[in-house]
Amino acid sequence: MELGNNQQQQQQQHIHVLVVDDSVIDRKLLERLLRDSSCKAATFLDSGDKALKYLGLLDDELDNASSTSSESLQQNGMKVNMIMTDYCMPGMSGYDLLKRIKGSSWKDVPVVIMSSENEPSRISMCLEGGAEEFLLKPLQASDLKKLQPCFLKCFDNSGEEDTSRNPAKEKQQNQNVNEELWKT
Amino acid sequence: MTMDVNQLQAKLREHQSAMFQQGFLDDQFSQLQKLQDESTPDFVLEVVTMFFDDSENLLKNMARCLEQVPADFKQIDAYAHQYKGSSASVGAARVKSVCATFRSFCETKNLDGCMRCLQQLQQEYSLLKNSLQYLFRLQNDIKAAGGSFS
Repeated sequence: MELGNNQQQQQQQHIHVLVVDDSVIDRKLLERLLRDSSCKAATFLDSGDKALKYLGLLDDELDNASSTSSESLQQNGMKVNMIMTDYCMPGMSGYDLLKRIKGSSWKDVPVVIMSSENEPSRISMCLEGGAEEFLLKPLQASDLKKLQPCFLKCFDNSGEEDTSRNPAKEKQQNQNVNEELWKT
Repeated sequence: MTMDVNQLQAKLREHQSAMFQQGFLDDQFSQLQKLQDESTPDFVLEVVTMFFDDSENLLKNMARCLEQVPADFKQIDAYAHQYKGSSASVGAARVKSVCATFRSFCETKNLDGCMRCLQQLQQEYSLLKNSLQYLFRLQNDIKAAGGSFS
């Protein structure tokens, strides 16, 4: 799929969400919900370990001081504007993932935790650990609306600072490239 | 005997209503239906199909675990937790409810209770599957007859 220069710029300005959830059904549901939100590009992974690998945070890769470190990933333009993770997963939990991210160069990326258990102690633990928001499963469209302030923050904090940005024009351009992006 | 679109639509409404009234489905299923549109015309069918596959795997795994001596209640609970989550996500209320009971039996390591729950789960899943397949069939018949359903 070829992208013109214009479309490439727009792609860089899109919010890219990393979703981490071991449930194939929940990933599919979230994919459909995200489609209706401001977040038009998403990557879906089924474990915390895969998320760490994706973000260049696996310990053995750091030792190499190679181009797979998270700093160089970000320098090379790989963008993750938000991370949404399930709390309860086999292996690494969403809370563990949250702590790893907050202790890394990705620490400014908002992390949203999702869980089927409505446990106040779990919720406060996650929020105190730096989570932006805690969503109860099963997710509905109204939950994604709760993330709207978060999405807007992402636009402001986007890596590509372009002082000549025109939000209204971007919105139209974003809508035009939605289909292309979603197919990738 | 063929039915006209109106009759089929009435049947669909009646069947769907019954499924909600009898607690097979809850509001989450309605949420899935709301997410279905022209660009995702088979969304509900796709999610439900995933749920059927997931169910069959989990039920098989739970049965296998319960046959082991001694039973690994931690593993069985993990499966019950997973099943509770996926049933909640699709709105399968009765399945979800039995999963909750199942989990408490796992916690108290009550093998007998677990076995009864597994049987109940297999029954509930079977009932739900048949009901949903009938629902999808009605929807297809309506589409084939040139009608639509919301």
